[in-house]
Amino acid sequence: MKKIISFVLLILVSSMILGGMTNTAQAQTDPTILLKIAKHAQKQLEDQINQNSSDKTKQLFKEGMQQINALEESLKNNDIDLAKKYFLSAMKIFKEISQQLTNSQSSQAEVVTLKDTVKDPSADLLRMQDYVDNLKIIAKKYNTSINFSELDNLFVTAKKQITDKQFDDALQTISKIKQITEDFNNKIRGHASQQEQSRAKEYAQKYLEQLDRLIEDVKNQGLSEDIIQKLVAARENLSSITDPQEIIKQIKEIKLIKEHLKVHKK
Amino acid sequence: MNPEIVPVHREESIREDGMLFVRTDGILETMVKAPLILAGLIIVTVLIPLQTSFSSTRTLELIIYSDGSTHVSTQIDVDPLEPDFELNLFGKSIDNFVATGDTGFLLSEEIVEDKAIIDTFGSSSIIIDYNIDDLVSKEGRVWTFSFDSPSDYTLLMPKNSVIVGMSGLPNNMELVDEQTKLGLTAGLSEINYIFTPINPTTHKPTISSESSFNYINAAVVGGSIIAAVIGIVLMLKRKQSKSLPSIIQTESTEKQTEIKSIDTETIFNFRPEMREDDKEIVKFISDKGGQVLESELRKKFLQPRTTMWRAVKRLERLGIIEIDKKDLQNLVKLKKDLEEEK
Repeated sequence: MKKIISFVLLILVSSMILGGMTNTAQAQTDPTILLKIAKHAQKQLEDQINQNSSDKTKQLFKEGMQQINALEESLKNNDIDLAKKYFLSAMKIFKEISQQLTNSQSSQAEVVTLKDTVKDPSADLLRMQDYVDNLKIIAKKYNTSINFSELDNLFVTAKKQITDKQFDDALQTISKIKQITEDFNNKIRGHASQQEQSRAKEYAQKYLEQLDRLIEDVKNQGLSEDIIQKLVAARENLSSITDPQEIIKQIKEIKLIKEHLKVHKK
Repeated sequence: MNPEIVPVHREESIREDGMLFVRTDGILETMVKAPLILAGLIIVTVLIPLQTSFSSTRTLELIIYSDGSTHVSTQIDVDPLEPDFELNLFGKSIDNFVATGDTGFLLSEEIVEDKAIIDTFGSSSIIIDYNIDDLVSKEGRVWTFSFDSPSDYTLLMPKNSVIVGMSGLPNNMELVDEQTKLGLTAGLSEINYIFTPINPTTHKPTISSESSFNYINAAVVGGSIIAAVIGIVLMLKRKQSKSLPSIIQTESTEKQTEIKSIDTETIFNFRPEMREDDKEIVKFISDKGGQVLESELRKKFLQPRTTMWRAVKRLERLGIIEIDKKDLQNLVKLKKDLEEEK
């Protein structure tokens, strides 16, 4: 039996040690990721470098490729530290190339693409969709009677307008979505504030119980009558207020008295 | 007279250097019983992962939208004894701020510049969501994400974006619906990216799923639990008469059968705090035989990618589902060993 227990103890200790090791290992970088990111960047830039690109840019790209080759080689040799160094070096070069390409490229096609990106309100719509989804969950939690169907329809409309490249119309629809969302947000917050009051009261009640024990302790320890009176007065105030903000304010005041009490005890 | 207190005997055990040597043989058996050590180690083993997970910021997830604004979603452990919590925001241009407590109720807040004071009123954990415009800048066609993070975090890059510069090293990378998701460590990171006008599928990197460290961790935790169960069974066996093992074995087999036949009701009972919409997702997965693609979930619930992804991650955190890869897509599976997550 002793042998079995020793064996179990051994397993437990080993697992604790292994657990610690893996936690450390988890924070480390998987080196193969580095090569994938760097190669992906290399491929993208390769597609964009053309005959019109400057010699400097082409030279930089060659240097970048050399760094990637060195990165690949160091990974084969299992030299992770060196691999990290080559990765950072390659990415630094690729960043510089991207900036150079930005300055030099002025083809009409590129300008049109960027213009479209700027005008396209897809991101704004997606952002609002995420926000509204979050509000829907909260509204459900409060059992509100808010009807989101109008908003849902507007989202469908805006998506279609974006697909059809009617960006100005889409922007107007998104503007409507924002107005309605703001209104819903206020309604939900109205519901929330009612419940917050009861949560604040519940919290204050728990705090009062702690405070009662503290007052009792202070009395037993025969500490300053002034502090006891302050605590009793604060207790009375806290028990009478219902506004959440007032409760927070009062609790902060009690904390100051507690700090004073600690100093007094020392 | 007790021979152990004879002075001569004591003198014998004191050496010239004045050190007192005591026989330690059998102390473990007589003073501290082995079962106590075993129980202590079991507790420590169980607490180690818990201790690791109890940090101020439990999770931090960032999503960059295509126009450069960033969605921040974070879960933070807060002191339940405090009435409010002051949160440092990652900038001043804050929009769509939502704070919810551990029961899912909305918490009121006041935002002053880059700080938010949230009325927590006893919540031990809060979830914060907001959008911010301060983390990404643009020069020409190069976008730069710059962020000094207080903790490790995940970053979902925009669709059709290609990373062309990085100042730090990622610790993980995966593909979530054609978007690159990076795992990054705390500290300052700068990531430069561009948008490609070309269909990214032609240049899609072959990205592996999450690193295997999670599986190792799971194996270690699983191993500890198995060892702990063996230890407990052995202790019970030791205490009971030798005629009882057959009963214990029968009980153990019954329990295993129960675990295998887990249904949605068991899951809901196991996680009563689960959101209603998450329950619907679990029911759907269960109806589909216990596994579906994340894209199927989006189609079914008409949710955008990020929302569904968050819901799936939420269920994963609750230990209800696990995410696998299938043809570069997320395969969401109901866990069969729910009890072990307790």
